Amino acid sequence: MRERVLVAMSGGVDSSVAAALLVEQGYDVVGATMKLFCHGDDLPDRPCCSLDSVNDARRVCQSLGVPHYVLNLESAFGRDVVDDFVHEYSIGRTPIPCVRCNTFTKFRDLVAKADAIDARWIATGHYARVVDGELRRGVDPAKDQSYFLWGIDRGVLGRMLLPVGTQTKPETRAVAHRLGLELIAEKRESQDICFVPDGDHTRIIRQRLGDDAPALASGPFVLSNGAVVGTHDGFARFTIGQRRGVPGGFREPMFVVAIRPADRAVVIGPRSELLGRGVVAREMNWLVDAPEVGERVEIQVRHRATPARAEIVRLDAEAREIELGLDEPVAAITPGQSLVLYHGDRVLGGGLIERGLGVGLRVIAA
Amino acid sequence: MPEPIYLDHAATTPVRAEVLEAMLPFYGPRFGNPSSIHRWGREARTALDEARERVAACLGASTDEICFTSGGTEADNIAILGAWRGRRDAGRRAIVTTPIEHKAILASVHQAASEGADERFCKMTPAGVVDRSSFDALCNRDTAIASVMWVNNEIGTVQPIAELARQAKSVGALFHTDGVQAFGKIAIDARAIPFDVLSVSGHKIGAPKGIGAVFIRRGTTISPLFHGGAQDRGRRPGTENVASAVGFARAAELAVAEREEECRRLAQLRDRLEQAILARIPDARVHGRGAPARAPHVLNVSVPGTDSESLLMALDLRGIGCSAGSACQSGSITPSHVLSAIGVPADLASAAIRMSLGSLTTDACIDRVAEVFPALVEKARGMARAS
Repeated sequence: MRERVLVAMSGGVDSSVAAALLVEQGYDVVGATMKLFCHGDDLPDRPCCSLDSVNDARRVCQSLGVPHYVLNLESAFGRDVVDDFVHEYSIGRTPIPCVRCNTFTKFRDLVAKADAIDARWIATGHYARVVDGELRRGVDPAKDQSYFLWGIDRGVLGRMLLPVGTQTKPETRAVAHRLGLELIAEKRESQDICFVPDGDHTRIIRQRLGDDAPALASGPFVLSNGAVVGTHDGFARFTIGQRRGVPGGFREPMFVVAIRPADRAVVIGPRSELLGRGVVAREMNWLVDAPEVGERVEIQVRHRATPARAEIVRLDAEAREIELGLDEPVAAITPGQSLVLYHGDRVLGGGLIERGLGVGLRVIAA
Repeated sequence: MPEPIYLDHAATTPVRAEVLEAMLPFYGPRFGNPSSIHRWGREARTALDEARERVAACLGASTDEICFTSGGTEADNIAILGAWRGRRDAGRRAIVTTPIEHKAILASVHQAASEGADERFCKMTPAGVVDRSSFDALCNRDTAIASVMWVNNEIGTVQPIAELARQAKSVGALFHTDGVQAFGKIAIDARAIPFDVLSVSGHKIGAPKGIGAVFIRRGTTISPLFHGGAQDRGRRPGTENVASAVGFARAAELAVAEREEECRRLAQLRDRLEQAILARIPDARVHGRGAPARAPHVLNVSVPGTDSESLLMALDLRGIGCSAGSACQSGSITPSHVLSAIGVPADLASAAIRMSLGSLTTDACIDRVAEVFPALVEKARGMARAS
């Protein structure tokens, strides 16, 4: 009997090709598109999650001859992903909703749906690989999405199929053409957060928290010595390392180096103040047996960053909170972003960045 | 996989062979336009007139009281918006309806409200029946139209249409009933029951999709929604869908002729399925079970600790087609407004599965569903406990 796989299909080229490859490999494929939020008005020109995307996924399944379902995960996604996204911004952090969507929506809630239909496997269009029960980077360094997958339950790795993780994006498009999926073969990439289709994340913060939310109220730009040098219109518009919207007229280019919700301050400084020599993260999740203090690893503190060499200097008893020392300073370590630990291509685990540690930053913390 | 089982007749039904046969000439040599004066036109006009007479006979109506539409949704729109727009200037600015109506009614009432109507929703009993004192209190001298569906499409409960119609008319309101699910299941006689407007649909009774009718009692003020030629006395301009009207008439005649026997058969099958499910899953809840009258073809059941979405997928992958609540534009399931309106808690409402029986349902179908459904439920609950 063919093994059944539930494929999460966004209507984009990656997950469509994933489904097509699995059909070709002889799996009993069931396609599912998750409806995660409701656009009041359709946004037909947006590449992800709009009604058109559901229709594209359905058309792909029709052409593959496999069933397709639309799963309404709106309320769980709203709770697990959108609420957290808004809360993180409200406390001056910069969240990555895709990480929580992978952790809670795709590889937990969707796995429950897979269980309900006796699907042994669950598949997505992620550029990552599972080899010998371990998560690895996708082979295309330009597309590798392993950074977003650190939070999933380790037990799910044994059920994951990531068919496009072994190929490059151009190869994925070529497969789409070879398999006759012209509808989606040249579809453009989604860059935005799916529930922030116009790129303006403050809109949803305002919707949830109201017009008078402190995160969107004006506050001071300050230097690390405390001097007030201007006024901004809401700290939620800023992230660590940002230059856009920062006052000029200094000798050096100035960056956001910290966000201080207590007095709504956005702290700015030169590049030197952006450098961290260490990082503290919490809510660590391990995809291999937890490492030990003193172990050397590579870390990434943002998507597509060059991995940095580091050493584990502290790990709490449950291995849920970690501190690493960096061999070389890393710029713009941002609270709320993910810290992911690697050994080469192997993903060891990850967590949420609590703070960066370093010369410039110590001044601000005081 | 064994032969698939279609258990969604409330959604739509297959076109009957007799109906298709009756329609075929109108897709061939008898293609004329009923408004044309030549022989082709006369031929089409004859067929259309006969179809109208036959549908009228099925409803106890006069021929001129039947207006063909594109289906139930258009009939409902004509009833609500036509009555509202036709009567608002006479000071009748309220519309009374129930919260368990089909979206075609709810959205039409909402449209009327955006044009200035006062929308009023009467209370429902937990059994899924209109609360009479609430309905009576809401129907006044200011009411343009009251609209109550005869048989609910999700839970099958039957409303006391004769009493409600008399009450509405006693205060000068028009009374409309959405009879889409009632047609072929309940005796509909316009001479005996004083509704003013009635909606029926073809594809629920073995006619094709895209045809329905609205009964408009003689002397009833209804403004047309469409504007164009003089077809159908100007109530519904546009070249008539002759083939479908002929098919609808044939399906209506068959449904009315077979009604009593088919209802007995379906009720017996439905009861057997219901009992089998309750025997295997004692805490399953059958919605509308406490209503004084239920249509024989609908069984809506929620099992605590399950969710409709997963069960529907699992059933479909085992070859059994059912439905739940109503689907939004994307095709995803949204919690049923009907169940929440009759006080079903949200977790139970989101577990609802509607099985609707009809011409394709046999004893063997029921036996298999009675076996597969509880098995899937037990599995789903086992997983819920384990996680």
